Amino acid sequence: MLILSRKSGESIVIDGRIIVKIVRVEGEVVKVGIEAPANLPVHRQEVYEEIQRSNQQALTQPKAPLPRLPRVKLPPAPGKAPTGLRTLSGQNSSLRT
Amino acid sequence: MNCVNQMAPEATAAPEVSGVRLPMGLLGFEQIKEYLLIANPDEDPFRWLRVKEDSRLAFVVIEPFLVVPEYQPDIPQADVEFLGLTGPQDALLYNIVTLRGVSQPTINLKGPIVFNRHTLVGKQVILANAGEYSVQHPLQVMEAGTVTASPACIQPAA
Repeated sequence: MLILSRKSGESIVIDGRIIVKIVRVEGEVVKVGIEAPANLPVHRQEVYEEIQRSNQQALTQPKAPLPRLPRVKLPPAPGKAPTGLRTLSGQNSSLRT
Repeated sequence: MNCVNQMAPEATAAPEVSGVRLPMGLLGFEQIKEYLLIANPDEDPFRWLRVKEDSRLAFVVIEPFLVVPEYQPDIPQADVEFLGLTGPQDALLYNIVTLRGVSQPTINLKGPIVFNRHTLVGKQVILANAGEYSVQHPLQVMEAGTVTASPACIQPAA
């Protein structure tokens, strides 16, 4: 593993298109900004691994018996849109901290 | 289970099957990109996300808003662009259910699979607000006795 020393405000460039910037150092917490093309997924490793493990546990066989759910209180509104997508009209910066 | 069909003869409506594509795969299954989304009317509101090339491998999925009405997934801008979503109305969400022997199923709320409902291209997204949600959110089932190995054998057809 390549180990580099960086000060707050300094950056590392990877492959000419990914910039990793040390934004701030506060005690034991380092804030890192990553500027990368939008098609390049960037994740916190522990969240990524948690979902990966969950997917592996969820893999099943198509004939597995399914649980019965209580009657849904809401009528299943056809085409109900997610209430999220809050970033849809947000700023376009790819700098994630 | 064969008894599902024997006990519920009215539930013989043909399943609805749509081919869907996950160009990035699912986390941990990045190499698998082609799936079938299967809706059996008698298993509603669950759907199967079955590996197209291997009929033995599948995930159980469900539209999250049916079971967690307060769910507020915040989809990162990069994913919105990747999927070509122009607004919330373009998105179709399915979250993966882990059966755990059907008595204690859980739903992954951190990483929904977001589809563009027009192109049927999807991606497992890590929500910007993933910290607010669990990968093992308990799914409320009817009652312990009715969710054992083969519910259709125990419950008379409605």
